[in-house]
Amino acid sequence: MSKMNRIVLSIPMVFILVLIMAELPLLLQPDGSHSIRLDWPQGAASIKAYFSGIPTGDSFRFLSGQNTLSFWEQIGSYFIISFGYLACGALIGTTIGVLIGIYFSLSRAEWLKRTVEFLGAMPDFVSILLLQFLVVFVASKTGVVLFQIATLSVKEPAIVLPLVSSILIPASYMIRNVTMQMTYTLAEDYIGFAKARGLRKLYIVFYHALPNVLPFIRADLHKFLGILIGNIFIVEYLYNLHGLTMLLFSNVYSYSGYQFPLVVNGLLTLLLLYAVIYTLLKTYLWGWEKVLSR
Amino acid sequence: MNKTLLAGLILTTAIIGAAIFGKFFIRHDLDEPLKIHYAVDSSGKGTIVAPPLPPGKDYPLGTDYYGYDLMTRILVGAKYTIFLAVAIAFARVFFGGIAGMLLGYFARKPAKRREPATTWKLLNGIPIFLVIWLLLAGLSINSSLSPIRLCVVMGAVLAAVGIPSVVISIKEKTELIREKPFILAARSIGTGHRKMIGAHLFPHLKDSFLILIVQEIVLVLTLFGQLAIFHLFVGGTVMTFDPIEYNSRTNEWAGLIAAGRSSLDVYPWILFVPLAAYLVLILGFQLLARGLQTLFNQKYTKPSRL
Repeated sequence: MSKMNRIVLSIPMVFILVLIMAELPLLLQPDGSHSIRLDWPQGAASIKAYFSGIPTGDSFRFLSGQNTLSFWEQIGSYFIISFGYLACGALIGTTIGVLIGIYFSLSRAEWLKRTVEFLGAMPDFVSILLLQFLVVFVASKTGVVLFQIATLSVKEPAIVLPLVSSILIPASYMIRNVTMQMTYTLAEDYIGFAKARGLRKLYIVFYHALPNVLPFIRADLHKFLGILIGNIFIVEYLYNLHGLTMLLFSNVYSYSGYQFPLVVNGLLTLLLLYAVIYTLLKTYLWGWEKVLSR
Repeated sequence: MNKTLLAGLILTTAIIGAAIFGKFFIRHDLDEPLKIHYAVDSSGKGTIVAPPLPPGKDYPLGTDYYGYDLMTRILVGAKYTIFLAVAIAFARVFFGGIAGMLLGYFARKPAKRREPATTWKLLNGIPIFLVIWLLLAGLSINSSLSPIRLCVVMGAVLAAVGIPSVVISIKEKTELIREKPFILAARSIGTGHRKMIGAHLFPHLKDSFLILIVQEIVLVLTLFGQLAIFHLFVGGTVMTFDPIEYNSRTNEWAGLIAAGRSSLDVYPWILFVPLAAYLVLILGFQLLARGLQTLFNQKYTKPSRL
């Protein structure tokens, strides 16, 4: 089966899985105060309603507070914001990660590596809260507000801190990964051979070792992107950015109850975003490999 | 024993000790919040004492917005956070480890490495905490279930979603060990399957299991925190309207952090105290994992040739 075929075939599968996932909240219901029951009929009914709502357009309307909004009209701006932060995080984070990872595999500054390792292991939301706390602390001591700690109005959006946060987490993951793979690669015999031939250190690193590290990173891309997407949820929520994930979370439960169509559409858009970022990052790494090939 | 391991052991033991014996150190019970009162000090100067109080003599870690002692809340909540995280990690590694070992040992090796289907790769785009959130949000916010029951449900869900990754990692390790000469030697003298797994595979995987448990604890703690940011607390969430507030029923740490978030700019200690406790806990387990890794790695790694 060709690659194209596989991708096309996977779309209906993904759609079914998304439907199941969106049905989860309807499925598990408390039954009195002691047990939980599985509520299949309600889930099936909502899937049916979703399909019958596609031609009439009902499945693409959702409640935001008391207002009924059109999904198609709203999604554009939300998508752009999420895409922007994700793309910056992915591209800049990867670049920083690869460069620092190379440096770490060469240097002997153990304490620096340890510090970065432990900072990187800190959960994403903690680093965001600490950044916000730092800004508040500086502001309370000096009266200078360095950055907006969250978006409160359209006029004063928080830009710097969300950007820093969405770069920091992917970068720290990349640093760890590259350092590890690089250390393994540098222990190989062909590196010793290259050194024996009298090649310069940087040349060996970039033209002998790095081309052998990049495939590992490419293979790990899905896991990397999974982390990125998880991170964007936290970033958007804690900085109050109006991105895709915020749209999902703030409107999942409207005053009329769980909005099944919105969750399905939102999850599908999220997967679309994932595919776009994946392609972008893969192309970027492909560029690196082309430049570094001898 | 290296220094990292020692530091990790000390930190985690101290926190687990605090979780178990914490109730003996409680100075202000949870049913007696600080009331607004007028206090006159020795020089005759009067002040109005009103919550939230910053950390001070009477309340070493301060009080929260409603006058409850933060130290009490942390000590009471510790057992939920820590023991549930440890239990979930154990369950993941126990079930995942057995499944992975059996799969790695018995599965026939495919001629060519198969790539996972595109569907599964795409589904990476939906983070795991979102799935858990969707599953539990309706159940956990203003729930009719008791906190303990809710902990069990949450534990089961969190354990279940984490098992596949453990299975894969252990399976890969088992497949590597299976190729070693001593396995071939054992097989050629007619060792049975049970003996092979018990005496040859498991001893080589013991180290990995131990590290994996500690790493999973850190992962579960992170997951607790991420879920708490979206108002899903271990043991249940109490949501009050007007003003909309989310509070933890069990005083579990991630819940305290999430609830304290709104006090970031005015009463920072309400956020900072539970956040510090949580960070120390994660750091402890992180050091433990790292220390164990160095301990076991010393035997195997090759040095850099550059």
